[in-house]
Amino acid sequence: MPGRLFDWFRLKHWFSYRATLPDAWQQQRLFEAPLLAIDLELTSLNPEQSKITSIGWLEGQNGSINLESAYYRVVRVKGDLQQSPVIHGLTPEHTELGEHVRDSLNALSQFARSHIWVFHNASLDVRVLNRAFAANNLQVEQVVTLDTLKLAMYQLKKTHELLPSNSMTLANCRQRMGLPAVPAHNALDDAMATLQLWFAQFHQLAGRNSITIDAILHTRCINVVNLGKKCKRGIDKVS
Amino acid sequence: MVLPQQTADFLTSAAPFDQLENDALLEISRKANLMYLTGDNQKVLLEQNHGRLFLIQSGQFSVRDAEGPVRHLSEGDYFGHAGLLDKVSYPLELTVDKPGLVYSFTPQAFEFAMSHPGIADFFHAMRSDVLQNHAVAESQSMWLYKGLGEVLKGSPISMDVTESIQNAAIEMTRNKVSSLLITEQGRLAGIITDRDLRSRVVAKGLDIHQSVQTIMTDKPAMVTQNRTLFDAICIMNEHNVHHLPVIDRHTRQPIGMLTTSDVVRLQRGNVLFIIGELAKAENLYSLSRVSWQLPHYFASHARRPVDFDIAGKVLSQATDMMTRKLINYFQRENGPAPMPYSWIVYGSQAREDQTMGSDQDNGLLLARTPTKGEGEYFRAMSEYVCDGLAKCGIKLCDGNIMASNPELRLSLDQAVEQARAWVLQPTPEAIMHFNIFLDARCAAGDGDLFRKLQQARVPLLKQSLFLAALSRHANQVSVPLSMFQKFVYEKRQEKANCIDLKVRAVALINNLVRLYALASGLTAPATLARLASLPAGSGLAVKDAENLRDIWLFLNRLRWRHQLTTQSTDNLVSVDELSSIEKHQLKAAFKAIDRAQQAAVMKFSGGMG
Repeated sequence: MPGRLFDWFRLKHWFSYRATLPDAWQQQRLFEAPLLAIDLELTSLNPEQSKITSIGWLEGQNGSINLESAYYRVVRVKGDLQQSPVIHGLTPEHTELGEHVRDSLNALSQFARSHIWVFHNASLDVRVLNRAFAANNLQVEQVVTLDTLKLAMYQLKKTHELLPSNSMTLANCRQRMGLPAVPAHNALDDAMATLQLWFAQFHQLAGRNSITIDAILHTRCINVVNLGKKCKRGIDKVS
Repeated sequence: MVLPQQTADFLTSAAPFDQLENDALLEISRKANLMYLTGDNQKVLLEQNHGRLFLIQSGQFSVRDAEGPVRHLSEGDYFGHAGLLDKVSYPLELTVDKPGLVYSFTPQAFEFAMSHPGIADFFHAMRSDVLQNHAVAESQSMWLYKGLGEVLKGSPISMDVTESIQNAAIEMTRNKVSSLLITEQGRLAGIITDRDLRSRVVAKGLDIHQSVQTIMTDKPAMVTQNRTLFDAICIMNEHNVHHLPVIDRHTRQPIGMLTTSDVVRLQRGNVLFIIGELAKAENLYSLSRVSWQLPHYFASHARRPVDFDIAGKVLSQATDMMTRKLINYFQRENGPAPMPYSWIVYGSQAREDQTMGSDQDNGLLLARTPTKGEGEYFRAMSEYVCDGLAKCGIKLCDGNIMASNPELRLSLDQAVEQARAWVLQPTPEAIMHFNIFLDARCAAGDGDLFRKLQQARVPLLKQSLFLAALSRHANQVSVPLSMFQKFVYEKRQEKANCIDLKVRAVALINNLVRLYALASGLTAPATLARLASLPAGSGLAVKDAENLRDIWLFLNRLRWRHQLTTQSTDNLVSVDELSSIEKHQLKAAFKAIDRAQQAAVMKFSGGMG
């Protein structure tokens, strides 16, 4: 492909991102943006079958995490827990005592317009959430998500042709940023760890408090999703 | 509110919050923030968290949060507490040297935390930058302060009040005890003893099928298990009883019975007992046999910090005793010495801060230059004593600082001349060589002879050029703290994360205190004694002297505990052996030593370190 044509595609691509960010988020300063770091613990890594066994989140803004916003629920799951007891320590005894996932989804919906949802590996969690919202007849639109895994990939690809295996795990991404090791595989702790990772990434990426969300669209870590009845509509598909 | 595990983990590893229970951790985490503090955002974030307490989880920061110098802080360090304690809004200046995670707690949370005495002590101590001032109990007899819970062995032997006298006697016989605890609904009601069975039953022809209640001593003198053996002995003396029931403080249930024979048995573990045994030893064989029990004695009886405070002194006294005994054995075979002499000990034995690993440092001072025959006598005596000490577990000195070395058997005139030579040419090499001789004590022989030497040395050793050289030497080793207040560990050691507390800390204090002591013309060698007897105008403020004393004791406790718990004779204390609060105290101690070093350099060598 001739270089000029390639540039044109890239330009078009770039404009399309800009176009699909909800109005309220255009020119939003990232530093001041309200964030909600979310993590789901799942019965498997298959987004089409996996069930949520627990969910945790916390709010952050201005480079700081509000500990009082910490939310953690074990979700009632029917059927096979698959690898969950091994990885997350959640056994059938726990999950039978858990709440219905709908309660958590309802609580989560309150943050759809106000917060950027931060995930580590958003694609998996978003697809599972999409199914869960749909199954419970719930719907949220135009949620802006931020994926620390995508950003880590962007940053690491600057120096690596091929990404080393395991380099994208939350623990390893944190380690590269000089963040302390923390207990893994609990939804709340992973959410908190993810938010810290974002703060460190933001510092490395831009640092300046005036950086807006538009300025990091090229890293592909930002997405806009609809969850629930309608199909997930990613920005890529719009363009 | 749920507390993320990582927050709970971090707080429970960070002094002083590690003292808090889970509920209290939740309480202080209320409205807490965790921020990622960077050079770009610190202004905004610190404004938003104004008036709060900050605790660093990662990163490195240079902070000025009250009047005083900039502090270089990292993981586990606090800032902002000064303003909260003083209720003053100090300006907070912070430079981010390496971005990282910092917790901030509300003033309310801080106030709540301060209601815990341990936490209040911690922050107040940090504010005044001194260690907790543990009063040093002048205890010669650590065994007396053992807790009763530790002293009692086995389960209590007891019986209900409704049981018969005969059953009580059967029970006592079965258990081979001379007394029995009598209970009523589980609580202590009385005791009976062998003597009661004799005087109240047999002598009076009482029916042995009656209940024990009729013959027991009700409401006996008793003691709760949280008290010490010393308390129990006082009560036994006061009430003139040989059997003292020990009960639980809360439930009043009996826990055991303390008897006078228990006290005698426990006394055998007393250090005075060991020294008494040393004094009784009639020959080298029995002396060395008792001596080898010393490490065992310390390992089994020294547990509390005050035990460690006197352990060095006890060990030095024991070594003195061995020396006198050995000289005595030698003279028994070879006749009395041909002239007055003093057996001088140097270094740690002189200062009475020996540890298990200390080797012998000694020399001989003679009243005059010996003839050939007299010299031969003292050579043989020195060799006998040094070898004997080695057989008793006091290692021979690698550096050959021993009376068996002919260079260390000097006449009084030679010794004074030697001191004059030190003062004339205090080169760094010379100081390295003679530093150890500046702490000296007469352990055996003629004390007056040694005092003559000291009197002759006092005016020499207080000359300002000499002190200036000593102070520069004292400043050559610095405390093992990096710029960011992190511990600097010993290199090339098998153990990880360890610090040689003797070389890197205790010796630094000894060097400093020696300087002030020599400048003031003091002749006492012990560091604590020197600190206590420094006159006004010595240049070291009373407060600083007390601070150095506390630090010295603290370091000494750490290395004794290290030696006893790891059964080693080195001073390589691993940071992993320390509690979180001790790590903070150790850092504070290092910082204080560093300041004292700077002050000494200013005073004695005009700032030319």
